[in-house]
Amino acid sequence: MQQELERELIGKCRDGDARFYEPLVRAYEPAGLRLALAMMGNLEDAQDALQEAFVKAYDAMPRFEPGRPFGPWFFQILRNQCRDMLRTRKARFRTESLDEGLDGRPADPESGPERRRQRNAAREAVWRGLERIGEEHREVLVLKDLQGFRYTEIARILEIPEGTVASRLYHARQALHDALVELGVEGV
Amino acid sequence: MREDVSDMDLMRYLDGEMPPEERRRFEEALARSTELQRDLALFRSLKEEVRALELPGAAPSGSVWDRVSAHLFRPAGWAFLAVGLLAWLAYGIHVFTTAPIDPWRRLAVAAVAIGVLLLFASVIRDRMREWATDPYKHVRR
Repeated sequence: MQQELERELIGKCRDGDARFYEPLVRAYEPAGLRLALAMMGNLEDAQDALQEAFVKAYDAMPRFEPGRPFGPWFFQILRNQCRDMLRTRKARFRTESLDEGLDGRPADPESGPERRRQRNAAREAVWRGLERIGEEHREVLVLKDLQGFRYTEIARILEIPEGTVASRLYHARQALHDALVELGVEGV
Repeated sequence: MREDVSDMDLMRYLDGEMPPEERRRFEEALARSTELQRDLALFRSLKEEVRALELPGAAPSGSVWDRVSAHLFRPAGWAFLAVGLLAWLAYGIHVFTTAPIDPWRRLAVAAVAIGVLLLFASVIRDRMREWATDPYKHVRR
């Protein structure tokens, strides 16, 4: 979404007109869902977290600094929402429904059954690994490797100094490696 | 041997976060160190594994906007309802108090209205107490 349009929409929302919030929700929903999915591990909880985060972001709009990009601010709210949900035990990181949701998508016609099985097994192993490494490690990996954020953006979302991002990523990747080795995954 | 290269530098190189000059120095160190090459290959492979998770870009069940908008517009609906009910209540009280009816009949109607209100308030209070101590309130039904 163009910055100028985004600023204009945010201005209208700050004035209390919720109709102008819809384009913002639709623009940030795909990336938000990916982040929530990776933090919650299943579609149902991810959608609940995403919905709550959008509502909280709208309510907090008067405190949003005009001129700043909406994305990192919103992802910070979403990340906190996911953590709250995991902490209050309304949800826990679980991957069953996500796997079902993904399997429901149309199959790639190029890939044969053996290739698909291998890919599913690899994906399953990485999910299990992510489940084991804990949310602090998981969230930084998701923000970098799945969402492709720069270190400055990750620092803003996680509310940590920029210099800490590389160190946290190192420990997260090391933890994922150890988890995959424990799970008996070869080649990592 | 990993000379002059920290784990953080390794991450910054892998993630494309190094300025060109530092990157050049890192690549010189990389050419000299098999241990560094092995570590880089390991972390690159892990990065690719996570990237290959192929998360869906949108929920199969559609946008969350419907659910979000329901939350955003609901308070306005409640506000209109409350204002409307209060206006009707005020009008009802005005009509009731100014209408030329027998005082005993007025008293009886008032007693019924107050009784209904008290019962309603006590039910609401009990429900709120139960909700505060319900250990299963977060369980989805």
